[in-house]
Amino acid sequence: MSTPALDGTAGDRGRTVRVVIVDDHAIFRSGLKTDLDPRIEVVGEAGTVERAIEVIGRTRPEVVLLDVHLPGGLGGGGREVIAGSAALRGTTKFLALSVSDAAEDVVAVIRAGARGYVTKTISGAEITDAVYRVAGGDAVFSPRLAGFVLDAFGTAPADIADDELDKLSARELEVMRLIARGYSYKEVAKELFISIKTVETHVSAVLRKLQLSSRHELTKWAAERRLL
Amino acid sequence: MTTVPVRPPLVRSSDRIVAGVCAGLAEHLGWPVRMVRIGMAVASLAGGAGLVFYGWLWIMVPTADESAKRNARRPASPIAPAVSIAPSASMPPKHAAAVDPPLWTGAYSPGYPPGAVSTPPGGSAPAAGPGGYTPAAGPVPSVPYDAGAPSQPQEPSAVPSTGAWFRVRNMRYGKEILLGAGLLLVAAILIARLLGVEVPLGTLIPAAAILGGAAIAWMQLDETRRAGLVDKTKADQAGGWARLAAGLALVVAGVLVMVSGSGSWEQTWLALLASVAVLGGVALVLLPWGLKFWRDLETERAGRVRETERAEIAAHLHDSVLQTLALIQRRAANEHDVVRLARAQERELRGWLFRDPARDAGQLSDRIKAAAAEVEDGLGNAVDVVSVGDTAMTDRHEALVQASREAMLNASRHGGGPVSVYLEVSDGGAEVFVKDRGSGFELHAVPEDRMGVRESIIGRMKRHGGTAEINSSPDGTEVRLKLPAAAEDNGEGKS
Repeated sequence: MSTPALDGTAGDRGRTVRVVIVDDHAIFRSGLKTDLDPRIEVVGEAGTVERAIEVIGRTRPEVVLLDVHLPGGLGGGGREVIAGSAALRGTTKFLALSVSDAAEDVVAVIRAGARGYVTKTISGAEITDAVYRVAGGDAVFSPRLAGFVLDAFGTAPADIADDELDKLSARELEVMRLIARGYSYKEVAKELFISIKTVETHVSAVLRKLQLSSRHELTKWAAERRLL
Repeated sequence: MTTVPVRPPLVRSSDRIVAGVCAGLAEHLGWPVRMVRIGMAVASLAGGAGLVFYGWLWIMVPTADESAKRNARRPASPIAPAVSIAPSASMPPKHAAAVDPPLWTGAYSPGYPPGAVSTPPGGSAPAAGPGGYTPAAGPVPSVPYDAGAPSQPQEPSAVPSTGAWFRVRNMRYGKEILLGAGLLLVAAILIARLLGVEVPLGTLIPAAAILGGAAIAWMQLDETRRAGLVDKTKADQAGGWARLAAGLALVVAGVLVMVSGSGSWEQTWLALLASVAVLGGVALVLLPWGLKFWRDLETERAGRVRETERAEIAAHLHDSVLQTLALIQRRAANEHDVVRLARAQERELRGWLFRDPARDAGQLSDRIKAAAAEVEDGLGNAVDVVSVGDTAMTDRHEALVQASREAMLNASRHGGGPVSVYLEVSDGGAEVFVKDRGSGFELHAVPEDRMGVRESIIGRMKRHGGTAEINSSPDGTEVRLKLPAAAEDNGEGKS
């Protein structure tokens, strides 16, 4: 799946980013390594939950490319890796990678703390972009993830005064809708006459709501929505 | 009962005075309705026999509607075999004439014994039809069908009909016939007693009880075996237990009465107590074996279920994934084909893995996804669908799907690069956005004769009370289709 939100607008492209790839398929790991931009330095690889926590703790990368489904541990997969690396929170960012489109998996790993979610079929250039964006502190939303958010939070905007976590503001809804329609951050900015930075702020706010919302229906909703 | 011709099924007619019994009967027998009605009235005078008969038919015979509903579930209609039937090698051609209904009703029906009423309507046909038909019988001359039948009405077609009759009894009317035989037996005994013949009732009744009880219990076994792998519901099991208990009680009572020689009550009680004690002892001894047997059975059944599931998954993977992988290996040189195959297979497998059987298919989002898949397969360009909300399909939604499909086709053809489709259904209506990343086009520059955009998208949406908007820029084109929910009321919906 393409992720048009990634259009080369992520800042700080010049510097080297240290990443760890966590995936249980060696073929996929080596393929991803060759696909990534040369300025992205792969400092470690892991194929199981335990090994991933160990490698991440030792190498302290900026970004972890994390498969949602992993063997080992207590069966929690990528979620468990994020929880096990809690000591590094703030310095290490997680970007979830998955072949699964199931809302249950996506929402679970985002709520565990991942800064974004992309499917494994995206191109090397797109994933490079996503790595830079996550390393820069922004969130990476694919159209599908935006669709999940809209489905989970509802498409009715919150009252202006309403600053609760269970609803999206009218502006956030607009941004999510455009991303779901396949707009890149740059195109969203153009369409709404705002800066890219503002779009990034809105997306980060939505990610925060997705992670922090106490709505337990969110998890229930994700579990029920098996199909997409 | 020598012949079983095909007749109209016995159903209560809608042409009715009271309950349509007489009219249905007349149609079934091929007699004039008036005659049947008069006959029924006359019979009513004879001790109310007509009334009883009428009431019985009223209760037992379904109306035409009910019958049609019931037959709809069966693959073979009672009439179809009469058309398709052809004489088999074992069946002389002349007998085939017996199943030609129009000729029969005229020639034969007045001669029917009244007993033929209970013959299953059209019963022989389903039984004989599938078995009797052989492709080799094709060249059989058509003579028996038209000319032959009237010329030989006296020929009883005993050979095929007896075979069919037995099969029919086993299949559908066994219980009724058994019951009738039992009642006849009772009547015979009563008459014999009236005539002064001594009937040893003291032995007969217990014997009948034992036979009846055993029959009930064995029927149960037969049914269980027949049900085989089919999951039985709780209700069925309760019925089965009741039947088993009834059969057991009958047999035990019969044996007791017979053994104790229909003696005094104390004796019977004692015997009963003793037998219950013996049965209890036997049960106590056999219980562990029984339980073990039961558990083994359950384990085996669970294993079989797992095996079936595994086989289903294996079959699916074989039919889909392995075939696609083989294709991909052969087409490895053609990158475009490989990508297209991989995407089609991914979509299929995803649909299979994540399908939700509880959800009814055919919702709007399913249709949009199906259209996207079709376009993707046809043009080899990725079409990604994101959907939020869903709704059941209507005529107007059909138009939306068609317009969306057209937009996807255009985007795939002219846009280049992946196409993004977004569907949002809310209380206000349904919206579809189709976006590509091509170089864009000017709507006014589209020639009048190009039907795609103008007619299939804009015109179609307008006719169904919706709107279509096309937004094109050098970065790509987006088609926005909107179908308001309330537009049904203003009457411009159907066209």
